[in-house]
Amino acid sequence: MLLCDFHIHTKFSDGSLDLRKTIDIFGQTGFDVIAITDHVVNGDHPIGKFAHRFKLSVTAKNFGEYIENIRYEAQRAWDKYEMLVIPGVEISKNYISSDKSAHLLIIDIKEFIPACMSIESILIEAKNQGALTVACHPHHTPDRMNKDTLFLWNNREKYCRYIDAWEIANRDDFFSVVAHKKFPYIASSDFHRASHIFSWKTLLNCQKDVVSVKQCIKTNKGVAITLFRN
Amino acid sequence: MDIFMVFTIITLIGLMLYSFQIISVRQYMRKKQTPLLDYFREYPPVSILKPLKGMDDNLFDNLASFCKLDYPKYEIIFALQDINDPAYKVVCKIKDRYPEKDIRIVTERCDVGLNPKINNLIPAYRQSKYELILISDSNVTVGSDYLKNMVSNMANSDVGLVCNLIRGLGGRSIGAILENLHLNTFILGSVCFLQRYLDIQCVIGKSMLMRKRDLEMIGGLTAFKDVLAEDFVIGREMKRCGKKVVVSDYMIHNVNEYWSLKRFLNRHTRWGKLRWKIGGYQYFSELLCNPIFMSLLAFSVATESRLFGGTFALLVACYKMMGDYYINRLLSKHQSQLSYINNACYKTKDNFYHYLFIPIKDVIVGLIWFVPLLSSKVVWRGNKYIICRDSAMKPYNNKTSRILNSLRMRFSEQH
Repeated sequence: MLLCDFHIHTKFSDGSLDLRKTIDIFGQTGFDVIAITDHVVNGDHPIGKFAHRFKLSVTAKNFGEYIENIRYEAQRAWDKYEMLVIPGVEISKNYISSDKSAHLLIIDIKEFIPACMSIESILIEAKNQGALTVACHPHHTPDRMNKDTLFLWNNREKYCRYIDAWEIANRDDFFSVVAHKKFPYIASSDFHRASHIFSWKTLLNCQKDVVSVKQCIKTNKGVAITLFRN
Repeated sequence: MDIFMVFTIITLIGLMLYSFQIISVRQYMRKKQTPLLDYFREYPPVSILKPLKGMDDNLFDNLASFCKLDYPKYEIIFALQDINDPAYKVVCKIKDRYPEKDIRIVTERCDVGLNPKINNLIPAYRQSKYELILISDSNVTVGSDYLKNMVSNMANSDVGLVCNLIRGLGGRSIGAILENLHLNTFILGSVCFLQRYLDIQCVIGKSMLMRKRDLEMIGGLTAFKDVLAEDFVIGREMKRCGKKVVVSDYMIHNVNEYWSLKRFLNRHTRWGKLRWKIGGYQYFSELLCNPIFMSLLAFSVATESRLFGGTFALLVACYKMMGDYYINRLLSKHQSQLSYINNACYKTKDNFYHYLFIPIKDVIVGLIWFVPLLSSKVVWRGNKYIICRDSAMKPYNNKTSRILNSLRMRFSEQH
């Protein structure tokens, strides 16, 4: 089984570690597949404007540099640790209301997708790029520090056909509603700092290449989750 | 003489001892290197035993460094108690990456004693092929000439055990910064001081090279299954049997990057308890080696001369910070002379700002110093023990804690 984490932030957005160090932490810990998914925040709202102002978001301007850096580090990670690194982003539509807020992972992204587009357009654009879409932390979390992002779950009937998987577990939280609905699932760390490595993870029973990994998640066969603890 | 003066005099004695520690570290760094043996004729094969439990910072590189040793013949045995240990995946990757190396992974549950490291080592020891065994912790990283240097120290048949000094590297979190500062100042200084002036060789169990016949002579690994400080006791028993213990001139590296403060406190409380149980009243001399803490005690009891007390404490802190930074510079200089450190990860900048944490670290260590006098309970790798004289371990079976636990369970059932 491949030990995987598909939800990782670096200093390109609000992570505390730079890309190289982040990849080294996962490599040193024996991971097989990871996706780097820094935030792309909507700039059409004061929260988003704040994120852009303080460089807590990947933007159209630095997206090329972001992808180039990931590709370079992916090669290094493969050579040194035989770890597959996939570029991605977390589209973060943040509003005051939790019901309007949505976070969506786009894994294996090729071109920049702005977060101010409608969710439907974002999902269609991701599909056109052949990327994998994952609804992250889709339900209520007990952590009062983090604001809930409920838009995708509240509109699941409308969007579920575009969404390849749902986060059934995020860091230490578990979303049993995803299991009840029998949606395809993954679990990930929402990694922002080193201690987050010990959290929920996905195990995949497939080949270690991007196509097989995406296929495995989409079909949701050979997928398991584990609470990775030291 | 008032109590302020007593603390002030203790601080001054501490500063003097500390200066001797700096001198002893300097002399260690300038020590002539052990002459190496003839590469093709004289190096005997070695079994490297690596007990593993859970993840360490830099684990992959730590283990990989042992696969890059420039040594004619050696085997590496990775020992785990459980196939579900998170380190298992890493050792499998290492084995796949170095197929040309003689690497074995032993996963066998062994519960012969209370010391989890010894439990881990026993199955690996049974499977080891060679007469020379090197017990090496998973959190150390070494250069390619490490094993040659270690074995060269064994050329003299009187030598029973070779160990190393360690240097902490890579602190990125507050716990890791404090840990590395403590390793590189207090631990290093004390070991060099004891070796230089009192001819006491402290054994640090992170890396120990022995002959099987010598180890068997002192009872084998099982003789140490119920002691926490197995390294110290092995060294002491070797000396009792007339064998020498040598601290190699080769310094190994311990990469600590993301320690929490809790982990730092837990380790040094445990180590303090060990030293108290082993050293007895000698443990009180440790306070002398903490002049910052003693000067603060002097300041806190000063009634009339508070300005003098405050200025004195400040000067002591400055002297200690500068001294520790100087030791760091010596280490860096020593390290830069070593050809093996090519990986940028191990090249440390002289982070002067880390040394601003020295007073905080010394105050914490000073407060921790009292804990062993009050409690004998230690928590190590998730297990609780009571430690007795000479670090003998007993399972922790506290009646009060059992009653509290049962009450807690009942309470949670009701709610």
